[in-house]
Amino acid sequence: MAEVKSAEFKKASGRALRDEKLQHALEHVMEHFVGARANIIESDFGDESWESMRTRAAAIKQSTLEHLDYYLDMVDKSVRRNGGHVYFADDAAQANAIVLDIAKRNGVKTVIKSKSMVSEEMGVNHILEREGIEPVETDLGEYIIQLAGETPFHIIAPAMHKTRQEVSSLFQEWLKTAPTQDIKRLCVYARDALREKFAAADMGISGANFVVAETGTVCLVTNEGNGRMTTSAPRIHVVLAGMEKIVPAIEDLALFLRLLPRSATGQRITSYNTFVGGPRAPSDEDGPEEFHLVFVDNGRLNLLRDEVMREALRCIRCGACLNHCPVYQKIGGHAYGWVYSGPIGAVVTPPMTNMKVARDLPYASTLCGTCKDVCPVKIDIPRLLLHLRHKVAEGALGERSTTWMERLFVGQWHGAMRNRRALEGKANLGRLLTRPFARGGKVRKLPFAPMVSGWTASRDFPAPAPKSFARLWREELAQDNVHPNGMEQR
Amino acid sequence: MKVLRRLGVDVGFPEDQTCCGQIAFNGGFRSHAADVAKHFLDVFENEEQVVVPSGSCASMIKVYYRELFEDDPETLERAQAVGEKTRELSDYIVNVVGTSDVGAASEGLVTYHDACHLLRELRIKEAPRDLIGGVRGIELQEMEDSNACCGFGGLFSVKFPEISTAILDEKLKNIAESGAGAVVANDCGCLMHIRGAMERRGMNVRAMHIAELLAEDGTDG
Amino acid sequence: MAPTPEEHPNKAAFLLRVRSALGRTEPIVHMPDHPSLKSNAMRQQEKVRTIVARNEARRSPTLDRLARTAAAASWNVRRAGDAEEAASIVAEIAQQSGVKNLVRSAEDVFKRVNIDTALRSVGVSPAILASGRSRSRGALRDMAFRADMGVTGVSYAIAETASCAVIPRKGVARLASLAPPRLILLIEPEQVLETLDDFFAVTRLNRMQARGRATNYFNFISGPSRTADIEQTLTIGVHGPGEVHMVILG
Repeated sequence: MAEVKSAEFKKASGRALRDEKLQHALEHVMEHFVGARANIIESDFGDESWESMRTRAAAIKQSTLEHLDYYLDMVDKSVRRNGGHVYFADDAAQANAIVLDIAKRNGVKTVIKSKSMVSEEMGVNHILEREGIEPVETDLGEYIIQLAGETPFHIIAPAMHKTRQEVSSLFQEWLKTAPTQDIKRLCVYARDALREKFAAADMGISGANFVVAETGTVCLVTNEGNGRMTTSAPRIHVVLAGMEKIVPAIEDLALFLRLLPRSATGQRITSYNTFVGGPRAPSDEDGPEEFHLVFVDNGRLNLLRDEVMREALRCIRCGACLNHCPVYQKIGGHAYGWVYSGPIGAVVTPPMTNMKVARDLPYASTLCGTCKDVCPVKIDIPRLLLHLRHKVAEGALGERSTTWMERLFVGQWHGAMRNRRALEGKANLGRLLTRPFARGGKVRKLPFAPMVSGWTASRDFPAPAPKSFARLWREELAQDNVHPNGMEQR
Repeated sequence: MKVLRRLGVDVGFPEDQTCCGQIAFNGGFRSHAADVAKHFLDVFENEEQVVVPSGSCASMIKVYYRELFEDDPETLERAQAVGEKTRELSDYIVNVVGTSDVGAASEGLVTYHDACHLLRELRIKEAPRDLIGGVRGIELQEMEDSNACCGFGGLFSVKFPEISTAILDEKLKNIAESGAGAVVANDCGCLMHIRGAMERRGMNVRAMHIAELLAEDGTDG
Repeated sequence: MAPTPEEHPNKAAFLLRVRSALGRTEPIVHMPDHPSLKSNAMRQQEKVRTIVARNEARRSPTLDRLARTAAAASWNVRRAGDAEEAASIVAEIAQQSGVKNLVRSAEDVFKRVNIDTALRSVGVSPAILASGRSRSRGALRDMAFRADMGVTGVSYAIAETASCAVIPRKGVARLASLAPPRLILLIEPEQVLETLDDFFAVTRLNRMQARGRATNYFNFISGPSRTADIEQTLTIGVHGPGEVHMVILG
């Protein structure tokens, strides 16, 4: 499985904030995505409102999850009826072994890949390379990332942090092409290089945006055409799908194909949708002779098991929560340390990987709620983050993962807040402690508390008022001759 | 208090009150939060109406108590009852008292920051703007992305101060570009955050709670 | 027909774990309540009959809508009064693009629209992209990769999204509409449906009626191949055709 580096969140996010080039790219891209989505959602497109579509989609996905064993069985039967093979992998290692076995059995030398987040989870490229099989990413962004030896920066725009100059030097190094500033030219270089790979590859690996239970149809959504190429040119097609990708009926696709591109790129529909449910028919002119669908768990069961977290599996990976998140807009995707980033990454990474390693992620949100508002399947991300924080703080996962300072603070706060007298006492102590640092009603530096010193590095902290509001209130009422509980004495 | 009393509201301040518990709840310390929230219910449940001056406190009481007490049906019922009679200050004045003119007067250009919970949990957007519009001598100048988060997020601002400040920078930029002399918000957290940074940087803009603006009568502004 | 592939050995254990995560001990016997799953072939037929009738009644505005949405999605849209005009439009586009290697599929629409003659009159000789006896898998692919224009018909076109549903089969290679950098699609009026919902309802019925011999593969082509992966700059024509023409008969 791909390495989980989420423990580095704080350090990595700091690095991202200081990376000027990255900051520039983030600003540019976010504006583009946010604007495009807003434009299309506000424009007229049919009889059903956006809100109604979201509600319906959320209900369909949730119901599918509640009956997931039934629908997995249904897909299995449908695909096998179509002449395809279906596999069930508990984790990344099993899934990799299945892919490797298919490849070896067929003497595969080159594999072309259409974008698949599950394959990123699995780290399948690494496994193939180790066995002397060449994996080639064909989504332009993924291809660039692969040449650079990096991981995707964004679910739908993996290389958005790369400039044209960087892409040009990567191509110079790997494809021996001439340097250019022309993006169109760079696309042509990539196209030509990848055409050779398409012709040479014996096996294509794709992800799945949706898997239709009743027909066994895998739906792929792409703009470049690499999804079509991967499912047309090689002799073998392998689909890697998270087990939550199912929708029950083929007619459900109409709804989801409206929601996904609008939320992701602000398009009415992507340039290509590929629907594939098995190998080519004998009379077909071309297309793969073998079709393999691999369902992958790899930690999803931890989400499914928890009734609160279950709804996270409704996610259709549109990336809208990333694009609209004030935190993601500032730090980008790499700091989250695993395959999924942004708000949904903060939600799924801890349960899918390792709660202790990823314990910072549930806290990496201001809980501003924008993610929940833009989600096409209405995942209540702030609620799920709060649920995870509860697990982190109160050791629901077997270990406490907060800092001693946070626990001390909350303990003290807890003591004070159940009793006004204790609160006033603590407040007086606070006045005493902060007085030496206060200048004109502000505290500029609080050296003794590591938790608070982060705040005062960039912001003043209000010094405690000399008198509490309750005391002021008592004094004012005494003047007005009013009873403290507000009932005026007439 | 001054504003509400000016409107003829019979207002009290139960002295045993402390906090709604959101700090602990957002930190994940739910049992601590529940204790404090119960104290809140003890103090307020016999009041006719509870008016809260901060959007995030109001949403804690109205929205998140449901979650906090989901396994405690008895308290849940009490929490729902208190939640129903809890209103955020601007919402209370405009939609319960029924006025957007509290007789306040001041002068200048102010801009308004939509606090996240007020806007996205409670869906309160117009009431504060109506109230600002009702202050004589004040003009509301909308800033760019007024609905964007200021980066406070409670615990977030101390756990990840660098990210928090970077988000705040955008907000400060938009406030400055609006040309307003003051930024008004209905959330004590956002205000502490915004005011803290503006003071540190010596920005010549006031950060005001809406109650502060509404309390002005033209003599002290 | 090839035998049905076997069940994966891990399937039963996998489903058991999923079931227990959901808090159940027994498998679900009855199909969960989902309206679009429950409709049987007869009801589906009725539904489609209504859809077809509506589309027939609204044909002319729907064609206009298709032309509009297609233009907005960067299709070059041309409307032809009759088959002859359609053929000459194809020839005109090929000539203007300076096409040398044109491949087409072998569909019924070409029996009505004789593009071969029209193309030859402007000096382009079209080749049919089909495997036949003499052409291996590699040879067909090379031929598709070499071509500079592809011409095919469609099975359906969806006005809502300007999506052309192309179903590969005998005579219709997958690569014909994908590999060449330029593409012309011919659309006949009765192939046009108003919405995505219409299309999937019809598709569901087609599958039910095909009794297991339904196609395992189809595509929507809804515009030119595009990417914005480098600096968020929209660039046309990556793996698929960057220049796409839609010729609507009617």
